[in-house]
Amino acid sequence: MVTTNGFAKRLILYVLVALTLFTAIFPFLMMLSTALKPSAETISLNPTFFPRHITWENFRDVLNPDVFPFWRYFLNSFQISFATALISVVVGTMGAYSFARLDYKGRGVFQKGVLFIYMFSGVLLIVPLYKMVTAAGLYDTKVSLVIVYIVLTMPVTLYMLGNYFRTIPESLEEAALIDGLNRFQVIYKIIVPLSLPAIASVFIYVFMIAWNDYLFASIFITSEDKMTLPIGLSHLFQTKNFVWGRMMAASLLTAVPIVILFSLVEKYFSGGLTEGGVKG
Amino acid sequence: MKKTSKAAEARLGYLLIAPSLALIAAVIVYPLFYNIWLSFNHVSLNPRKPSKFIGFGNYKSLILDGSFWHSIAVTLIYAIITVVGATVIGLYAALLLNQKMKGRRLYRSVILLPYVAPVISLVFIWKYMFNPAYGIVNDVLVDQLHLLSHRIDWLDSASGSLWLVIIFDIWHLFPFTFMMILAKMQSIDESMYEAASIDGATPWRKLWHITLPEIKFVVASLVVLRFIWNFYKFDEIYLLSKQVPVVGVYTYMTAFSTYNYGLASAITVSLFVLVMALVLVIVRKVIKW
Repeated sequence: MVTTNGFAKRLILYVLVALTLFTAIFPFLMMLSTALKPSAETISLNPTFFPRHITWENFRDVLNPDVFPFWRYFLNSFQISFATALISVVVGTMGAYSFARLDYKGRGVFQKGVLFIYMFSGVLLIVPLYKMVTAAGLYDTKVSLVIVYIVLTMPVTLYMLGNYFRTIPESLEEAALIDGLNRFQVIYKIIVPLSLPAIASVFIYVFMIAWNDYLFASIFITSEDKMTLPIGLSHLFQTKNFVWGRMMAASLLTAVPIVILFSLVEKYFSGGLTEGGVKG
Repeated sequence: MKKTSKAAEARLGYLLIAPSLALIAAVIVYPLFYNIWLSFNHVSLNPRKPSKFIGFGNYKSLILDGSFWHSIAVTLIYAIITVVGATVIGLYAALLLNQKMKGRRLYRSVILLPYVAPVISLVFIWKYMFNPAYGIVNDVLVDQLHLLSHRIDWLDSASGSLWLVIIFDIWHLFPFTFMMILAKMQSIDESMYEAASIDGATPWRKLWHITLPEIKFVVASLVVLRFIWNFYKFDEIYLLSKQVPVVGVYTYMTAFSTYNYGLASAITVSLFVLVMALVLVIVRKVIKW
């Protein structure tokens, strides 16, 4: 009796898990199946989940520069996201160390200020930032995007790294200081190597934010050759080259690098980095 | 000796935080004040032409503009429903995947997919699935399950598209709530549950008396932060449908479709003041500053 009851409970549990997982991934499965469908099938009035005929044509088209400059957009997105993440991690490591370990007047105010920005949204500053970028001659440059993304992700960088640094025993640093290292050496010889998982997580998180942004990329960039994937894709959606299968193939190819990167650091994300948290 | 090292430490502290603060000052603080100034001007389209000071003119037209109030109402509906939805489902998923079972780690990662994948990729498949003519959603709901009597125009009608963006946002962001709540749940001391079991507590009582009090603070922070973030939501809504004029979209359109920069500034200043008030009153109580 007890075992039947236990079995029923397990069954319900697994059914619930299966339903939840299905809800989470159904659109992705649909994306894949549509990318593999021939054009006529994607606009059939009796939609089916499984493709009746499988074709790779959509992927070939999307990757063909004569049809769609996917690689150029991809490269632009990659350059911008990589530069943003790199600078963010370097500047953030310094700032986070300052917050975590050094004592000075005004630190509390700075920390609260940063937390306040965490609640900020880019939408609030689009007009002044647009005017500033234009006035500074940075309109239609990738640099403008890198600068804005660094600052928008700054709170998360500072908090995630700062919280991690505090978990490193201070005695390690004291010993190193007594051995004659200065604080800078302590940072890059002890703190940074010990914090590599956290630094990698922050790097990838910032990379994600920059990779996903539509708002600023749509305002700051006008020339085709500087567009990022989100802008490029939404343009493709409005052109004569628009085909559902292609849209889905391009969407998948845009998502894959981020998903792979994230899966590498996922355990650090859901693990000890709760406080200060990430933004969505 | 001790004193100088303390001074040196403080100097290093300032030095290390200086680049971050300089960037924040340039990209957040200065634009904030510049924005206030712009909101009192009729801002010229041509960057070389000076703006014209018009005092409270922009604010006056904003208050008299019915579509502004409409957008506030739509935003509140959107923000409240999505926050409640994402919190409830995220909490449910966290409780579910905190149970012992085979393959738990894999399931936990899979659930994060909607949050991790780029919004731009997600938006197009949702538009496709919810397409009124050949989308699978209407097909299943209307033609196969007969749950709805007629097909809904999810993409291009006011109520249909509001529901579309709400369902999308809940689906997209519940994994975030899930991830944060689960992380907190895992830090709860196991011995508390063991002690409760010895006392003969039922799973419900454990949930009510141990789990929920322990995660209370995380849930409250998530609700407040998510409300603020969703209040300003722009990209996914704008990309999914042009029929949902939440304040983020309304501001964007005012600035970059009708090119009324001054009015757009007045909108953001007003919203900023609104959220500031919220932060000072509520956030201070929830997130202990």
